This record gives sequence, C-alpha cells and structure tokens, in this order.
Amino acid sequence: MNGSAESVPGTDSAEERVLAVLRRTTLEIVPEVDPALFTPDRTLSDLGCNSIDRAEIVTLAMEELDIAVPVHEFHQGMDLAALAAIMRKQL
Amino acid sequence: MSGTPAGYGIEALDVYAGSAAVSARAVFDGRGLDPRRFDNVASDRRSVALPFEDPVTHAVNAARPLLDRLAPADRDRIELLVTSSESGIDYSKSIASYVHRHLGLPPTCRLLETKQACYAATAALQLAVGYLAGGLSPGAKVLIVSTDMSLADERARYAEPVTGTGAVALLVGDRPRVLTADPGAFGVHSFETLDSARPGPDLDIADADRSLMAYLECLSRSFADYRSRVEGADFATTFDLLALHTPFSGMVRAAHRRLMRELYRSPADAVAADFERRVAPSLVHPGQTGNLFSGSLYLALASALDHARLDGPARVGLFSYGSGCSSEFFSGVVGPEAAAAVAEARIGPRLRARADLDFAEYTALLAENTACLRPAAHRDVDPARYAALLGRAADRPELLALTGVRDHHRQYAWI
Repeated sequence: MNGSAESVPGTDSAEERVLAVLRRTTLEIVPEVDPALFTPDRTLSDLGCNSIDRAEIVTLAMEELDIAVPVHEFHQGMDLAALAAIMRKQL
Repeated sequence: MSGTPAGYGIEALDVYAGSAAVSARAVFDGRGLDPRRFDNVASDRRSVALPFEDPVTHAVNAARPLLDRLAPADRDRIELLVTSSESGIDYSKSIASYVHRHLGLPPTCRLLETKQACYAATAALQLAVGYLAGGLSPGAKVLIVSTDMSLADERARYAEPVTGTGAVALLVGDRPRVLTADPGAFGVHSFETLDSARPGPDLDIADADRSLMAYLECLSRSFADYRSRVEGADFATTFDLLALHTPFSGMVRAAHRRLMRELYRSPADAVAADFERRVAPSLVHPGQTGNLFSGSLYLALASALDHARLDGPARVGLFSYGSGCSSEFFSGVVGPEAAAAVAEARIGPRLRARADLDFAEYTALLAENTACLRPAAHRDVDPARYAALLGRAADRPELLALTGVRDHHRQYAWI
C-alpha cells in the first residue's frame, strides 16, 4: 500500500475515477493539503478542509463529473471512500 | 391621499441584537477550536441574550423604536402582525400574541406566527406584499418581526462563534421607503431534507455539510426559477447590490463564487472584485451579531444600505434560505432615501453600544439561557440580577424584560 487512491482494494474503476477527481479538486481548492494524506479512509476535515472548502471541493467534482448528487445523500464526517461511493452512483 | 400606490414593500426596518456580545475570537480560543479556521468564519462578534430575554422581548425591543418613529395614524393601520421564529414558546399560543400586547398594537389586527427555519420572515414578507397588492384593505400595514434565541454552545463546534440572537422588525406597506418589491420577480426552490433542526426546546442539531450543499443548490435553483419568470434577468448585471441569508460570511462568499462560476465561468479575481462591490456591504452588521436566523437576510439588507454608496435608484437581489428546506431569490429597488430610512434605526451605533462579555461571563450566561424556551408552569426571573452587566451597555433604551412565568402565562415588565 502506498496510500494512493488507486491501490485500494474493493474499488472499481469508476470509483477510482471519482477519487482521482476528488483528489484533484481538493488540491485545487486547498493547495496546502499534503497529497500523501489523501486516502479513502480519511475525511476532508482530516486533511484540514473547512466546511466551505468541503462544499467547494464536492461542487467542483460534481461539475467535472457532470453529475448531481441529491442533497440528502451528504452528511458530515463522510470519509473519502463514502463520498466517492455516493458520487459513483450518479455516473 | 388617493390613487394607486406606486408599489409595495418595506417602509421601515429596525433591529435588536441583544444588549451584550462576545468576540468570536474569544469563543474560538475559549473552546480550543482550530485557529486556522477563523478566517472562514470572518465574524467579529456574536450577540448574546441575557436571561431575562426571550423571543417576545427581542421582538418587542426590535419593533418598538420603529413604532415610536411612526405617526399614530400609521400605527393604527397595522392590520397584521406576523412573528417568524424557530424559537417557539408554546405549541398553540403565538409569540405574536404577547408582542401585540406589549407593543400596544390596535385590536383590529390579525396575529400569526410562522415557521420555516431561516426562510420564515421572507415567506411572511412575500405573503404580506401579495395581500396588500390585492387591495382588500387599501393603506393597510403589516408588521413582520423575525425573532430568535440561540441555543448554540460547545456542541455546535464551529457554528457556536457565529450563531447570534435577536430580532428584525419590518413594516410593510404602500409607502416602501426602504425596499420596493419588484412585483412578480421571484424564484423559489424547496425540498425536504434534514440539514438543521431544533427538535427540542434546548436542542439544535445540524449537519454542516448537508446544510451547505442545500444552501448552494437552493441559490442556484431559486435564481434559475427567478430567471424563468423575469425576462432578461442576469445575475451579474441586473442587481447593483446583493443581500443573502448570512449564517456566516464564508457561506455567502462561497455561494456568490459558485453562482458566478456556474453562470459565467468568471475568473477568481473578477469574482472577488464583484464580491467586494456588490456583496461585502451586506456583511458588516451580520459580522457584529452572528446568524439572526430568519432576520439574518434583513440585517444583511440593512447593512448593504448602511454601507453602500447609492447615488440613485438601485436594484437589490435577495436570497433567503431556511433549512428543511425552502428558499427564494427575489428583488426590489432601493435608493438614497432607503439609506436614510435605515440610518434612522442607528443599527451600527447600537451594535457598538452592547456590553462586551469575556469568555467566562459568556459561558455562565449560556448555561442560564438554556431555560429560555423550556416549558415551565412557574418560573421567576429577576432582571435586577443582571443590572451590572446591562449597565455596561452604553445609552441603552428602555427594554422589555421577562420577569417570570405564572400558570404558563409569561410575565413582562419594562426596565
């Protein structure tokens, strides 16, 4: 395990794509984030993103993937794997 | 006076945001919150209630100065009093019934309390404007008072430093000095979700992520609905000023940025310049109070009018969001006279006059304030216990205070 999103067992290629987009948008919105910390078991809060950063990262990722996740699917404290899973469903 | 009125909207506006406040920085430091997140909050002070205050006293203390500036003949034309609140004091008896009594409003006045989280005052305003425009009672006025108590304590984490308490009074009629509503210019977006709620009289629950996503989606969708009703409406050019529901300023900044990017793909520096010009004036007063719930949007409007330089008529775009959720984007026209009308309320000086609390004083008050909305058949409250604290508020006006509860009946006195 090298900690990258791509090496996680149990994720399919679509989910890997979502994680890659989330990783890119995270680094775009919060450039201070250490890319090595971006692992599916961490939350965006763990990476130091505040509530506004989190909303912007998710919004940007949805725009990039051209999807709309229903608001009720989001909740506080989701790790990146859970976030990727609800986005993956809309692909 | 005769003839068809030129329009309907807000004639006068006033605010009561408590007699005490604590600095957001003191709450951040006192709770050990991550100081790197303070910039996102971008708030200066949070208004704090004293234990003899409740939704009724807040409402009366906001509306009374407005009514004192009104001619008796105009005051007698108030035919509907609406209180909007998510701080209810009874399942049946409205806050409005107490407010009506303690403001001495005429008996020929309908009383009503509305609830839809932070959207409730806007719902009341839109219904009032529609009612007045219906012409059933020419010259009638409506008094809408949004009034709320904060329950935010350490459980609220990052929301605690930015959750305020207070009331905003709006007088609505056919001489709209403050804001003339654009008839038929609105857009709405509502759907059921649980993003924040108050399931008990001393319990707030909130999911910050879901709430933010709902707010952002609602701004985008309600503006799309507005645009479908108003030919040629353009977010970037139709509105000279913007006032948005302000839970904290970072939220407003994010919402503006998202819409500008979504609609125009605007580069970041252009978005920032537009924000400073059209949105920042609305955030000055809210930064001194914290979130005032459904009054928040109207405090933002007052702030825009107190801080933007208006040389002539200007159009304001307003966005109201209430968790749960219901939202609306609408617009109206203001001008130099609107700024003069709002200036009469002396909101800035009165916010500066509040007593400054240190963190220990603040937490002691929080503990006492949790009793405020809890039902009790009997309760004694002695406002004199807080005389020293209240004495630190400069030039305070006479205030209505809760003195107790007798057989479920709330008792009040002017102090």
